Amino acid sequence: MSFASALPLLTLMTSLVAALVIFMLPEQRQGLRTLLNLTAAVVKLGLVAIMVAGVFRGEDYSISYTLLPGVEFILRADALSVMFAGLSAVLWLFTTIYAVGYLEGAPNRSRFFGFFSLCVASTMGIALAGNLFTFLLFYEMLTLSTYPLVVHRGTRKAVRAGNSYLAYTLTGGVVLLLGVAWLHTLFGDLPFAATGHFQQVDPALHGTLALIFLILITGLAVKSAIFPLHGWLPTAMVAPAPVSALLHAVAVVKAGAFGIVRVVYDIYGIEFAYALGVLEPLGWLAAFTILYGSVRALSQTDLKRRLAFSTVSQVSYIVLGVTLFGPIGTIGGLVHLLHQGVMKITLFFCAGNYAETLGVHRIDELDGAGRRMPLTSIAFTLGAFGMMGAPPLAGFVTKWMLGSGALASGMLWVIPVLVASTLLNAAYFLPILYRLWFATPKGWSQERRWGRLETHSWLLWPPLLTAALTVLLGILASAPFSPLSWAELVAAREYLP
Amino acid sequence: MLALLIPGLLFTPLALAVLCLLVNFRIGRLFSWVGIIVQVLVALGLWATVADQGGLYYDLGGWAAPLGIELRVDGLAVTFVLLTAVVASAAALHAGAYLDPRKGYQSYFWPLLWFLWAGLNGVWLAGDLFNLYVGLELISLAAVGLVALGGEAPALRAALRYLYAALLGSLGYLLAVALVYGSYGTLSLSGIAELAADHPPAPLILVLAALGLALKTALFPLHFWLPAAHGIAKSPVSALLSALVVKASFYIMARLWLEMGEQAGSIWLAQGLGALGAAGVVVGSWQAFRQSRLKMVVAYSSVAQIGYLFLLFPLSWGVATTTAELAQQGITLHLISHALAKAAMFLAAGNLILAVGNPQVSALAGVSRFLPFSLFSFGLAAVSLMGLPPSGGFVAKWLLLQASLAAGQWWWIGVLLLGSLLSALYVFRIFRASFLETGSDDPFYHPPRSLEVIPMALAVMAIGLGFVANLPLTVMALPVGGGVP
Amino acid sequence: MSALIWGAVLLPLLLPLLVVLQLPARGLRLVLPWLPVPALVLALSYEAPWALHLPYLLLGASWGLDDVRQLMLLAASLLWLCAGLYASAYIRAEGLRRYSALWGLTLAGNLGLILSLDLASFYTFFALMTFAGYGLVIHDRTKEALWAGKVYLVMAIVGEMAVLSGLLLASHQAGSLQLASLPEAVAGAENGLWIFALLLVGFGVKAGLPLLHFWLPLAHPVAPTPASAVLSGAMIKGGLLGWVLVLPLGLPGYTGLGQALVVLGALGSLGGAALGLLQQRPKTVLAYSSISQMGLMTLLVGSAIAAPHQASLIVPVIALYALHHGLAKGALFLAVGLKWPDSGWPRWLGWGLVMLPGLALAGLPFTSGAAAKTAMKGVLQPDQLGFGLAHLLPALMAAGAMATTLLILRYLVCLRDTITTGYNTGAILAGWGGLTFISLLLFWWLPWPQVGELASLARLGSLKDAWGLTWPLLAAGAVAWPWLRRLRSGPQPGSHTP
Repeated sequence: MSFASALPLLTLMTSLVAALVIFMLPEQRQGLRTLLNLTAAVVKLGLVAIMVAGVFRGEDYSISYTLLPGVEFILRADALSVMFAGLSAVLWLFTTIYAVGYLEGAPNRSRFFGFFSLCVASTMGIALAGNLFTFLLFYEMLTLSTYPLVVHRGTRKAVRAGNSYLAYTLTGGVVLLLGVAWLHTLFGDLPFAATGHFQQVDPALHGTLALIFLILITGLAVKSAIFPLHGWLPTAMVAPAPVSALLHAVAVVKAGAFGIVRVVYDIYGIEFAYALGVLEPLGWLAAFTILYGSVRALSQTDLKRRLAFSTVSQVSYIVLGVTLFGPIGTIGGLVHLLHQGVMKITLFFCAGNYAETLGVHRIDELDGAGRRMPLTSIAFTLGAFGMMGAPPLAGFVTKWMLGSGALASGMLWVIPVLVASTLLNAAYFLPILYRLWFATPKGWSQERRWGRLETHSWLLWPPLLTAALTVLLGILASAPFSPLSWAELVAAREYLP
Repeated sequence: MLALLIPGLLFTPLALAVLCLLVNFRIGRLFSWVGIIVQVLVALGLWATVADQGGLYYDLGGWAAPLGIELRVDGLAVTFVLLTAVVASAAALHAGAYLDPRKGYQSYFWPLLWFLWAGLNGVWLAGDLFNLYVGLELISLAAVGLVALGGEAPALRAALRYLYAALLGSLGYLLAVALVYGSYGTLSLSGIAELAADHPPAPLILVLAALGLALKTALFPLHFWLPAAHGIAKSPVSALLSALVVKASFYIMARLWLEMGEQAGSIWLAQGLGALGAAGVVVGSWQAFRQSRLKMVVAYSSVAQIGYLFLLFPLSWGVATTTAELAQQGITLHLISHALAKAAMFLAAGNLILAVGNPQVSALAGVSRFLPFSLFSFGLAAVSLMGLPPSGGFVAKWLLLQASLAAGQWWWIGVLLLGSLLSALYVFRIFRASFLETGSDDPFYHPPRSLEVIPMALAVMAIGLGFVANLPLTVMALPVGGGVP
Repeated sequence: MSALIWGAVLLPLLLPLLVVLQLPARGLRLVLPWLPVPALVLALSYEAPWALHLPYLLLGASWGLDDVRQLMLLAASLLWLCAGLYASAYIRAEGLRRYSALWGLTLAGNLGLILSLDLASFYTFFALMTFAGYGLVIHDRTKEALWAGKVYLVMAIVGEMAVLSGLLLASHQAGSLQLASLPEAVAGAENGLWIFALLLVGFGVKAGLPLLHFWLPLAHPVAPTPASAVLSGAMIKGGLLGWVLVLPLGLPGYTGLGQALVVLGALGSLGGAALGLLQQRPKTVLAYSSISQMGLMTLLVGSAIAAPHQASLIVPVIALYALHHGLAKGALFLAVGLKWPDSGWPRWLGWGLVMLPGLALAGLPFTSGAAAKTAMKGVLQPDQLGFGLAHLLPALMAAGAMATTLLILRYLVCLRDTITTGYNTGAILAGWGGLTFISLLLFWWLPWPQVGELASLARLGSLKDAWGLTWPLLAAGAVAWPWLRRLRSGPQPGSHTP
């Protein structure tokens, strides 16, 4: 086993080993734990960077192991996987920093960071999975490792949220299992391969394949919170802010969306899926979810709940992009996978900062917070504008690509959906921004002070950096190795020549 | 080599059993430690030998089949021998620290354990129906004794109920054996298989055997005795019972089915057994969900998990050979992973109850904060139990799904998937309780590390099985070669 | 050049950065006025069209300058410079930080959109200007300002969406992201009508197209005076520039729509003036005057669409007109915030200086307005345009001039009611005086000979031209005379405070 082929495994192992060691650490070894967390995050980032460079040069990192006769465990770094792995690696680093600051002095940190690392390990596994079976493995592992994070606070409300989370995701997992097993029975092991497997399949099987597609997507739609399977997401808001950030930006919802990408592109193949006629209904559903999530977000008074419904809406952009037949739509969907992550994590970091510093949870308590916490509020503003798709931020690039993709594939109805969604986004984000910047402060009863800075410095830097990233991803969208350029690379490989 | 190993498996436990009868708890524990080392080494050696050379028939004492005792040392048997060594050692080590040496009657644990162990090894290796019966009886009696070790009146009541059920089950099986002997004149499994090919056995034989063994395996609706017995017994005992004892009778049933089922079975019998198993999955899980005491949850979970085992019958009758193979592999893995996971779970549950000082699930609040290690073992075992990846339970479920799909018997898919969800229902109920925060002070007794490590080791094995499942499957598939004197 | 263009866009962004870095208020006041300097230098040093390609930026950006953009940039940078000077003294300490940050952002957006050659950059800066502009509008946070801000924002966002959809459709049709490729794509598109309508409406919100203008008279009076000046003088020109850049000016096929636009422009021109006459507050009057003036520019755009062969002549005139209007209107707005001398000749001088840019708007000879109107007349010859409505245009322009004169008188009257006496700080005087000066005098030295035939068109050719420009003014004065007389006996200056 050469170093190159071991790279995906090593990447996975960094967080897995970190998780195990952290579990073993006594609760009070805070410094060591932090060091360990950060080292693992940085090492992982480095490994992913090596893989990104390698994949760009055309190298293929892959490692496989026979789990059962006919069932392989494959870890493989292709263009698509390093895209998602890169997102996870970058955002994990930020979230770790944030979480260390956030949980300072709180109980159960060993457990928290252990499962936190496990969660990221699962996400990495999902990114690097080389076939459906391996994907499923990590997909379920993610469900399990996230549960303790969701119920972390141990309140009755948190525990109830955990119930709802499990009820949805485990059921989704079981449905997905069925789909994967069925495909396996019919076709054996299916490694992810650009352009898919079913080009030459017997037309008699088309009906079955469409049904399996439905099953697979249903299983994946739970995590990606597509209507009507989104119910768990807003309730899971009781989790600590770094968890919500991770849940919404990288781990859970993205795992679902990434799975849909994999199934459509690397199992069915976009051309075949299109020919099968399963893309368009999915597109409609995604479009509906986009609007539904936004409409529901309007009426939320809790900041994190509003953000949660916004996620419901935004993640469906990815799915919508996937269903647009044509490279531009693909690019739009894939880019949003990354861009949404960066923007949404910024928003959740900021929401966490408001809660931690000012004790603010409801939107109407945010009046004048911009003056008290200008940096956090700038980050929030950038994130919110990004979500609306305002240029030159990351969200604009996505929206533009989705719009162009829709036109290129002749799905004109997508444009009004995008427009309506943007209007709704504006309608639920702008009032928040107004309160932040223009409303008169009413004072905060649970305000805490941290020296010179507006909040704990570990809480301040991550949102600032991700907000800066939101700007850079938009402004430098066409630079080499930007998500957009990378998505173009991926899209170029997914369509038949 | 083999001449040393096989007698070692059967006679050292018996010898130890007798030896331990004569001494008190502490000395018995000392003896047992030595015995455990021997057993583990022997089991490993045997397994390695078979993995290397393939299975074989072995005549005990050198007398050939009709007169002497013929042992069938195939991959499956040695795998189960190894499993027994692992689980029983773990339970024994745990018991050594868990049981209270001051209670005199608990010194009976060691002899009973060794009788049980001998019986189990006997069943795994037996090549004829009668020896299977002997092993089974030995197991049952030892198990009843172990249940009674609980000491208090409810434990005795449960033990008595268990005894009746076990005796009734044995009776059914014995009748079937007698009928077989009557019609074929041999009790050797291989002999019967040969004869049965030409003269199918009477369905009554199979029904009787099935009924008797199903009662012992606690197939729904014959499971009534199990939760009480497993729930009330001491935790290491519960671990042994759930992980190994019920599997022994199932093992016999499966052996009979695979030898004679093709001829004597019918679609009704196969599907009927499967349906009862499925009902067991649903009812057992639901009952587990409804229990208020931790160990009862785990005990009812056994009823559910045993239900899966019975899917072997429909999935191996009247289907393609490859499908039947898939089903057999799946069931075997399920059996192994359930044994490991359930043992881990009972031991961990024992630790938790010890720590909390209260058998109720609701008393677990705050456990996640102050006793993370025990809870974590419980959690890992639960992962396998729910059939979530990566674990042995998942691989087993995967194979069973494949088998159901390949056999076109889609209704079992529903059972498998629903079963997963139902198991999550009762497992997460426990986590839910333990994640609730109570306050910042630690009211719990902390069990010694040695008690905590054992369930963790078992749970890790249950998980690890998911990664090395190919290994036992390969060994199982090895052909059975000629005899060795 | 590329350093200058970067400076032009980035320097304004320095201000928000300084705000974040907690620069003291004094520093902010010092920095605020000088942000548009690189843009001004860029505009003044323009010789021939050029472009800077930035492949990594956005979706592959290109920035640059051409004839039309140069005039727009000139107007914008001059106006922002003077208004900035004015603002640096005008804005009170409370809210100065926020105001400065938003000022810089809005300025960057305004300058950037002029310099953008590709639609992603254009849309980016357009949106930046819109959103940051909201903050300027509601700066005082009175109830009225908030309401105005809300209307502004809602309309602006709806407009943005129309623009975005239009640009998406157009660029899909063009297969390119360059603005220059869009007009042909719109002209040739199967669903061109849709694209046309979307872009028209989208930019029309900003340009104050009749029926899309509601935000304008609400927002202008409530914004701080320098903000109103740039809003009316420079920002609404963003919409105009959008039209000029993406609508199929000079391309055949949209005669009907072009004429409709001409009608809309005329409606805006006269209707805006009419409504303006009914207003009480000077800034509201000016806002309606802006609608009226934008109506004239809309009319020009419509003509360029309806008469494609004349477009190459009309487009420079649009830019010229925008330049003239921007400077003059800016000066008028800035005058609203002045403190007045007690009495005597300084006071009369003041009235004269305030009145002149207003009369320039109406086309008083030897002012920028005269040049613009003459140029306009030159290109709107009915016989050359050749579409049905064209022969009504001269009459319309005369009516427009009359209406403008009346409106300016109305403005002066309203202003008279609100003025307060006192001393102006140097910066405020410099801002207002500078802009008035530029609008009246410097206009003649501004470097626009490059605009080809424009130069000859703009200078007064003969006495006949002068008469043509003057009589509507006189007529309007005559109409208003009795009314003005009555006013003389009205309340004395200074008795009203705003």
